[in-house]
Amino acid sequence: MSEESDSVLIARAKDDPEAFSLLYERYVKNIYSYIYYRTGNHHDAEDLVSRTFYRALKHFARYEDRGAPFSAYLYRIAHNMVANWHRDRSRRQVVPLDEMMLSSVKREQPSAVAEEKGEQEVLLGAVHHLPPDRQELLILKFVDQLSNAEIAKIMGRTEGAIKSLYHRTLLALRQDLVEETNGQAPNQEVKGE
Amino acid sequence: MKDRRTDEILSAHTEALFGHSEELWQVDLTDEEQDELGPLFTLAERLQHSLPPVQPPAAFAHSLGKELAGSARHQIAAARRLRRGVLIGAATVGSLVSIASVIGAIVYIISRLRARPPAQAN
Repeated sequence: MSEESDSVLIARAKDDPEAFSLLYERYVKNIYSYIYYRTGNHHDAEDLVSRTFYRALKHFARYEDRGAPFSAYLYRIAHNMVANWHRDRSRRQVVPLDEMMLSSVKREQPSAVAEEKGEQEVLLGAVHHLPPDRQELLILKFVDQLSNAEIAKIMGRTEGAIKSLYHRTLLALRQDLVEETNGQAPNQEVKGE
Repeated sequence: MKDRRTDEILSAHTEALFGHSEELWQVDLTDEEQDELGPLFTLAERLQHSLPPVQPPAAFAHSLGKELAGSARHQIAAARRLRRGVLIGAATVGSLVSIASVIGAIVYIISRLRARPPAQAN
């Protein structure tokens, strides 16, 4: 993997296809994870990741490096792709929880797997009842492990707004989990903020 | 004010989970804060454990990388051709304008000479 900064690669990529390949290699895993959790299946994730990078390439000549990380540009494209995908299908995403969890707990004992699987299923189910912007925040924070500053740039908000949204998201999630445990339907909140 | 402090504490806790924070997670919490935030810390830790990064299939990532490199090559070549075309076009137009100016000047001079009345013989 290249040690060159994004800015150097972006400048080079205008005339050197190899530089764009290095940017792709640097971010494909994060973008794939993000899209996978937003769509819930590998097939659509692959399709949308391809479209995201092709769109980035198509508009790359007009891309101006203004100091924001290149990843923010890619996440914005990916975000729009996923939003269009949901609109086209007019349905909530169905996440293959079994597949997702097996990858993280397969090394453990069978009894531990069953117990942990149940807990994760409930938690991930609650996550998918959250409004899209809150799901996006959790994915960027926990899956892609971005800092608040990076998330703020991607979501077009201030760092303070991200911290506040995170607080409200955890409260809503805990509330949903309590209701789930008590056998009530999870609280359906406003879509987006 | 209290909400803002709570936002900060929760964010600092999660940033520390991923090692983003330079300082270790060391904040003195009141008993009330401990009661309020303890379950949220636990929830954040469960989320960290339950949302692992997902790797793209290697064959897919490799194949897409190759396709993109090919497209980038074509795009850069097309942009170069376009730049060269624009340059040649501009040079051609510039040359034509220059030639037209010279021809125009010659035509003008000839027409002025023809329009001048013939010199009177003494």
